[in-house]
Amino acid sequence: MFSISKEYAPPFEMIAPFFKVGTFFYLAGVIFLLFLDPGSSYTDMHIVGWAHWFLLGFVMMIIFGAMAQLVPVVVEVGHFSVDLYLIIWPLLMAGTMIMSAGFVFAPGILPYGGVLVLVAMVIFLYDTTMTLKKVQYISLTVKTVAAANLFLLSGIITGFVMSLAIGEGISVDINKWLSVHAVLVLGGYVTLTIIGLSLILLPMFGLSHGFNETPINRAFKLMIAGVLGYFFSALVGIEWGNYLSLVVMFVAVGFYLQQIVVIYKTRARKENDIWAKSMFFGYGSLFAALALGALWFLTGAERLLLDAAWFLIMGFFTFLINGHLYKIIPFLVWFKRYSPLVGKERVPMLHEMYPKKEAEYEFIFSALGVAIAGIGILFGSATLFKAGVSFLIVGAGFMFYSVVWMINYGKDKE
Amino acid sequence: MCSITKEQVYEAISTVIDPEVGFNLVEMGLIYDAIVEESCNVKVVMTLSTRGCPLHQMITQWVREAVERIDGVGVVEVEVVWEPAWNISMAADNVKAALGAGGTAMW
Repeated sequence: MFSISKEYAPPFEMIAPFFKVGTFFYLAGVIFLLFLDPGSSYTDMHIVGWAHWFLLGFVMMIIFGAMAQLVPVVVEVGHFSVDLYLIIWPLLMAGTMIMSAGFVFAPGILPYGGVLVLVAMVIFLYDTTMTLKKVQYISLTVKTVAAANLFLLSGIITGFVMSLAIGEGISVDINKWLSVHAVLVLGGYVTLTIIGLSLILLPMFGLSHGFNETPINRAFKLMIAGVLGYFFSALVGIEWGNYLSLVVMFVAVGFYLQQIVVIYKTRARKENDIWAKSMFFGYGSLFAALALGALWFLTGAERLLLDAAWFLIMGFFTFLINGHLYKIIPFLVWFKRYSPLVGKERVPMLHEMYPKKEAEYEFIFSALGVAIAGIGILFGSATLFKAGVSFLIVGAGFMFYSVVWMINYGKDKE
Repeated sequence: MCSITKEQVYEAISTVIDPEVGFNLVEMGLIYDAIVEESCNVKVVMTLSTRGCPLHQMITQWVREAVERIDGVGVVEVEVVWEPAWNISMAADNVKAALGAGGTAMW
């Protein structure tokens, strides 16, 4: 039997910056979209700079903050040294800013940003690895966290080598390693981590029980096999191996979606709060990304690949992250400010601790923005893309307001 | 002979509310048993709605403190078990209705 003791839970002050900084990167990131051409190639430096701003500054920043809270829940032991999280976010923030500026304006500074990001991630991996070493029961989730971390390490090393190639001119086949870097980080770390976390979080918030876990087990194994297959195929130059590995990853995501349907069908909690709506839109976007990705695979049209990436990043990753912020931040705030008052005075429920109206606006504007801009990318319409981005900016503004509102809830109790 | 009843123990525990769902632990069906010994020591057997609950230790502490507020109670022990696993059918009808478990959902 296991419990998260109070000493396992990281202090609120330690995690709050991840969410504040991450939401800032999100807001700024969607504003920067206005200056991108949706018809650009994915190798265009403006696109690459934006992708690093968004994926490192928002997606990874929030994932790291959430992992500070969730690693003990997932692997059932306390952190090796939770204090290390104090230095992760400043390094990641500074590194991401320098890297993004390097891609767009000054390639020479790219390796300096890269080294800061590398150090931030190595510290994160060090704590997670040392934490995993304390685990006695090696469950599938523990194996998945370990595999995801290895992929992250490989991904950031390939990324750092490429930053040296761009900034310092060392000889590396960037086109070849760019796709390996993307597969290792997005498929091997982000997707695998989201799959692992959702197996814990979706049943917890939806009160799902007694469901079959076979599909997600298949998803884990196939995703790991696909990422490894892609890496080694690229290493030895087997092109058909890369395609086969992509198919395996697509199938893995298909099994993952099957698991989500199974969890959804067994849920006891059927109210449609902001979390539930965000999950619904996020998984719908993942399905759209999968379909667009399959079409790209068949036709080779680069626009389809860019649109698949749009729905994956802005629809799936973003809505899963933002939806969970409405659960995680109120919990952390409640834990810090109200848990000591239980039994002494009336304490608020978690659903009272986020601004419902603004959260609703955030969802509506963001969902419309993702859909409209996605159609814009598909048809190569810059006007439609920017119209969608305008909706996204309004949505991100409401998200930023909501995060500040949630973090400040009950501040007078301190 | 101890005069504390099982009903009193349940009533005391019903002041403990799960902050995520907003219902007390008794109506959630999380309390499996309350054993009152002749010495007035009390053993509460309970479960949680999920194994990964980050409030695990705090909830068991709140249950212990709630029972300790009963006049004349002795030592209070709280045991968390995972068998039988909790499911929504164990909750009271008002909880099922509020969560939508017995009704229709938009999606």
